[in-house]
Amino acid sequence: MAGEKLNLVDVVPEKQEGPSFKRISDFIDFIKKELKPRGNIATPFNLISLPIMLLGYVLIVLRLAYGLGQPITNLNQQYPWGLWIGFDVVTGVAFAGGAYVLCFIVYILRVEKYHAIIRATVLNGFLAYLFYAGAIVLDIGRWWNIYNPMIGNDFGVNAVMFLVAWHFFLYMLAELVEFSPAIAEWLGLRRLRKILGIMTLGAVVFGITLSTLHQSGLGALMMMAKSKIHPLWYTEFIPILYFVSSIFAGLSMVIFEGSITHKVFSYQVDASHHEHYNDILVGLARICSVAMFGYFFLKVLLVVHEHAVQYINSPMGYWWLFEVIGFILVPCFLFASGAQQRNMAMIKFAAIITMVGIILNRLNYTFLAYNWYVPLSEKYWPSWIELIITASIILTEVWAFRWMVNRMPVLKAPPAWAVEKEH
Amino acid sequence: MDELFTYYDMFASKGPEYLIIIGFFIVIVAFWTFVNMSTER
Amino acid sequence: MDRRTFLKIFGSGVAGATTGNLLSPGRSFAKGDLSGQEFNGILVDTTRCIGCRRCEKACAEVNGLPIPDISESKNEDVLKEPRNTSDTQYTVITKYETEKGTIFVPKRCMHCNQPGCAAACLVKAMKKRPTGHVTWDSNCIGCRLCMISCPFDIPKFEYNKAMPRIQKCNLCYERFKKGELPGCVEACPTGALMSGSRRQILEEGKRRISDNPDKYVDHIYGEYEVGGTSHLYLSAVPFEQIGFRKDLGTVAYPEYSTGFLFAVPFIFVLWPLAMLGINRATKKSKEDEGHHEEHHNEKGKH
Ligand code: SF4
Ligand code: SF4
Repeated sequence: MAGEKLNLVDVVPEKQEGPSFKRISDFIDFIKKELKPRGNIATPFNLISLPIMLLGYVLIVLRLAYGLGQPITNLNQQYPWGLWIGFDVVTGVAFAGGAYVLCFIVYILRVEKYHAIIRATVLNGFLAYLFYAGAIVLDIGRWWNIYNPMIGNDFGVNAVMFLVAWHFFLYMLAELVEFSPAIAEWLGLRRLRKILGIMTLGAVVFGITLSTLHQSGLGALMMMAKSKIHPLWYTEFIPILYFVSSIFAGLSMVIFEGSITHKVFSYQVDASHHEHYNDILVGLARICSVAMFGYFFLKVLLVVHEHAVQYINSPMGYWWLFEVIGFILVPCFLFASGAQQRNMAMIKFAAIITMVGIILNRLNYTFLAYNWYVPLSEKYWPSWIELIITASIILTEVWAFRWMVNRMPVLKAPPAWAVEKEH
Repeated sequence: MDELFTYYDMFASKGPEYLIIIGFFIVIVAFWTFVNMSTER
Repeated sequence: MDRRTFLKIFGSGVAGATTGNLLSPGRSFAKGDLSGQEFNGILVDTTRCIGCRRCEKACAEVNGLPIPDISESKNEDVLKEPRNTSDTQYTVITKYETEKGTIFVPKRCMHCNQPGCAAACLVKAMKKRPTGHVTWDSNCIGCRLCMISCPFDIPKFEYNKAMPRIQKCNLCYERFKKGELPGCVEACPTGALMSGSRRQILEEGKRRISDNPDKYVDHIYGEYEVGGTSHLYLSAVPFEQIGFRKDLGTVAYPEYSTGFLFAVPFIFVLWPLAMLGINRATKKSKEDEGHHEEHHNEKGKH
């Protein structure tokens, strides 16, 4: 299976233009061939994920046909936003933040050490935007109008959401450009590959700027919920908290995703890279640790700044402490000592805790600490349909990721003709 | 009504904030040393 | 076309452009009458409301909502529960037991001078009209951020429809354009509701308070709350006793998002330059470059 794939890549440099497409039908044949699954289909992962995905698609159709009400979602007038926006979109985008952080490190600071993982990360980021942010289509009630803010019906330039919507769109384009060299290499389009390579720096600069703004913009969406979000979480600096936390949220995702892909696709990566990969993880763990250290102090400072200290000794206060100590301070320490001892297991464990913490944090803003004075019995909890659809979206993303990694030079080295000049 | 016009010191938190910052400076020395320490290699 | 008409058209065009979509920041709402119009609103005197729910019925009739049964026996039942506007009720009467006895309060959209809902809307489906009406339009994408951004929890969403709408009071905008009174005001038998320009009803409210200082608390809810609203309330008891939040502050809600929104252009200018600068500064000098390439090629080979 692996040989077959490498074959394709190896053949490329011999020919003038890669898997040259003289006629359109050649191209279609090539795509057809690539679309076919490879290897063993009946893996345990496939067997578990496929039914969930299919069930999810059926439920998506039902949601589009019947609207958002019970029993599809548990959303109600008190809790307009639930799991789909809180987890799929807001948390998903934070997890996708690894792409802009690594782009900054690799293309702007030129730290070559991390170059090896940049493609997988950017691809992951792009797919996350495509699927998770795409999940917003399910959540918005009048989805057939979704293009309205794009076509000027009407440009609500006064709205944070307007900014976020446009940034999602533009950032997906920027990430596509950043990743496109891999697609060009896959199709063997040399000239295009060269042009796209030149465009990378522009896309990176633009992409990082956009990321800064919409990572924080997602936080700014909640600014006008001042009277509804618990004072321990509400501060006028929510955007900055969202931005800072997206740094270690994204990198934790990179660590987590990377440790899985390196196992699953290990045949694509050679041994020297595996050694090098541990260095990368240690480096990432250090960055996470430092970012979380700063984030922890920001959290504490803002509680003091917002005159909210008196709330600490209350049920919501304990919940806040649980989040800040258990999911910021503890993983911060684990990352640091994991990096110090080169203990990969500890680093991966810290990454998982951090990710859980980010999920909690984002859900706090969307429904856990939102309308916190509402009695527990009337609170919103995601319905099983919301959970299944969320799971099926994530699994679809994983399938798409796997398909691309198996075909394009994401983890494996790019074809020789493409290597001469990167950036 | 009355509550709208009572005096409210919006800078009341500034003192504690600066104390936390000083604490931050102290902790950051230890933290930075810890992060950059590497045992076996 | 003579010069006069031309100037008129041209003038209105320019005015349209500056007061219209792109160029007017949310703040100009504060001035209220860019177009020479005043905000309109309703003064609600809760001491006069008898809880007959005729406004609810009139509202339903005007807006094509399910008509409620407002017979006396039914009213008693309905008013036992705490109530809130819903996707089928733009206005509801709520009953409160207070130190001064039973008080009925009509609840609905406050038609804020600077509405959070309108500032939140990415397609301007929620709009503050120059006449003070806050209306909803069908270009809405259903993101429900207006619900989150409304300090009074007013916009309601039709969760159970495949083609849902945001539902809320629009201060009878259509009727206003025809010169008619809002449905509820017309139906009110006791004069608990009074419509007029915000200036008029504010004056009237202040007059009532100063004429009967013992009857009213000395506060008009909505005069300053969340930057002022076009819907104003008078009460005999402190407002927190009849279900009004006193912790909303006097800052107009859109102001909370301006800190972020106004920073955006600066980031767009400064970030790219900073990054290009760093990128250039970290570039290896000529001598190193050969070495760098070599290293790179090597890495690419495996
Ligand atoms: S009360 Fe709510 S819905 Fe009505 S204008 Fe104000 S913000 Fe908008
Ligand atoms: S739900 Fe509709 S009206 Fe409300 S903010 Fe979103 S697009 Fe605007």
